[in-house]
Amino acid sequence: MKKKVIGLIDGQSGNIGSINKAIKDIIKGRPYRLKIIKGHFNHSSFDKIILPGQGAYATLMSNLKKLKIIKPLKEYLENNSSYLGICVGMQILSDWGYEDKITRGLGVISGDIKKFRNKKLIIPHMGWNTINLNNDDTIIANSFDKKDFYFVHSYIFQNIKKSNVLAFTLYGQKFPSIVKKGNIYGVQFHPEKSHRQGLNLIKNYILKA
Amino acid sequence: MLKTRIIPCLDVIKNKVVKGVNFKNIRVMGNAVEMAKYYSLSGADELCMLDINASYQNRKTFIKTVESIAKVINIPLTVGGGVSDLRDITDLLNAGADKVSINSAAVKNPKLIRQASLRHGSQCIVVAIDGKRYKNKMKVVIKGGREITKNELITWAKQVQSLGAGEILMTSMDTDGVQNGFDSNMLKKVTGSVSIPVIASGGVGNLEHFYLGYLTKSTGLLAASVFHSGKYKIKTVKKYLSRKGVPVRI
Repeated sequence: MKKKVIGLIDGQSGNIGSINKAIKDIIKGRPYRLKIIKGHFNHSSFDKIILPGQGAYATLMSNLKKLKIIKPLKEYLENNSSYLGICVGMQILSDWGYEDKITRGLGVISGDIKKFRNKKLIIPHMGWNTINLNNDDTIIANSFDKKDFYFVHSYIFQNIKKSNVLAFTLYGQKFPSIVKKGNIYGVQFHPEKSHRQGLNLIKNYILKA
Repeated sequence: MLKTRIIPCLDVIKNKVVKGVNFKNIRVMGNAVEMAKYYSLSGADELCMLDINASYQNRKTFIKTVESIAKVINIPLTVGGGVSDLRDITDLLNAGADKVSINSAAVKNPKLIRQASLRHGSQCIVVAIDGKRYKNKMKVVIKGGREITKNELITWAKQVQSLGAGEILMTSMDTDGVQNGFDSNMLKKVTGSVSIPVIASGGVGNLEHFYLGYLTKSTGLLAASVFHSGKYKIKTVKKYLSRKGVPVRI
């Protein structure tokens, strides 16, 4: 049987060690193969792509540009291929990012990434918080309604269509914690740091999405 | 709702968790990797580990220990102790730390905070501050409290925030190791003057102390002895806090 190929993009935005290990553990003994993407790639040779990210929107976009990943990634996403973006890897699906400087994103899910509005909040939003189901989704969101995941971020998805919000979280305001458009998923939290719940989410994505 | 984090702290020499900072009577509490694994499985929200004897030789083993721990846990890991420059920070992040905590080096060279947060992002730079009352003022101390610096505590806390620290790990040297509770007064002053998360550290001896720590508006509560000695399980603490109305992850 032909193995499905999972691409893990190393956008040089934080350590990919935990997510790399999580994926390896999940696909052990299953018909999948993991390939780390560090530069230009052929978008048709991957069945799934995961992009983890930490730090700033502008930094990740400029890293991906330098690594010549933007073009094939856009082609991949335009085909509605299966994708999971984590934290900043989710944020860059938007049209624009407002962190540090205004940066154009991948423009896959319409909306902008802006700072939490409430000035009295402790920022970054750091720690475990609950996700609440907004739209039905048998693959990822349904199983995790009211479960806690680990967040660390100061910016959130705004001006997004309700139909693209799978789950939201409360921190001073409601904000999208899981977004979806077609086969493209994004999570604001870090499943790779969210203990069993997080590993289950990655597993669901890999095996079911 | 954001949950209050319960964070066990491992004081480590090479690959062993040890008790206290008194170098004369070091007691080995257990193997660092085993203990980290245990805490991760038993409900810790994060883990903190500090190299308390960061000599050149010990450092290599310590970094290997960080690598081994990062491989077996999947909760956030903060690593500190003996971090003196950007190179140390990069080494620890590469070894699998999610956040690196800087203490004395930040006091000696505050620019390090800015350089580190620009390079790696604020979210992974924690500034550990040791505070102590001296002549009616709250001062920043280094070298385990043996050296009082010129820095006034609150001014320094505000400064580390403006330099780009993502979090403050606040230890009161007046309460650390005594198990009479966190230094609520000092912690409230700090949480009231910054807008980044503050982890309370130093002094937990019983369950109520955790609750009093929560009331200081610290979003993380760090403890060592009460967990290592087996006095409380993480679940016991969380159940207690939950009954008191504190949001915790159970």
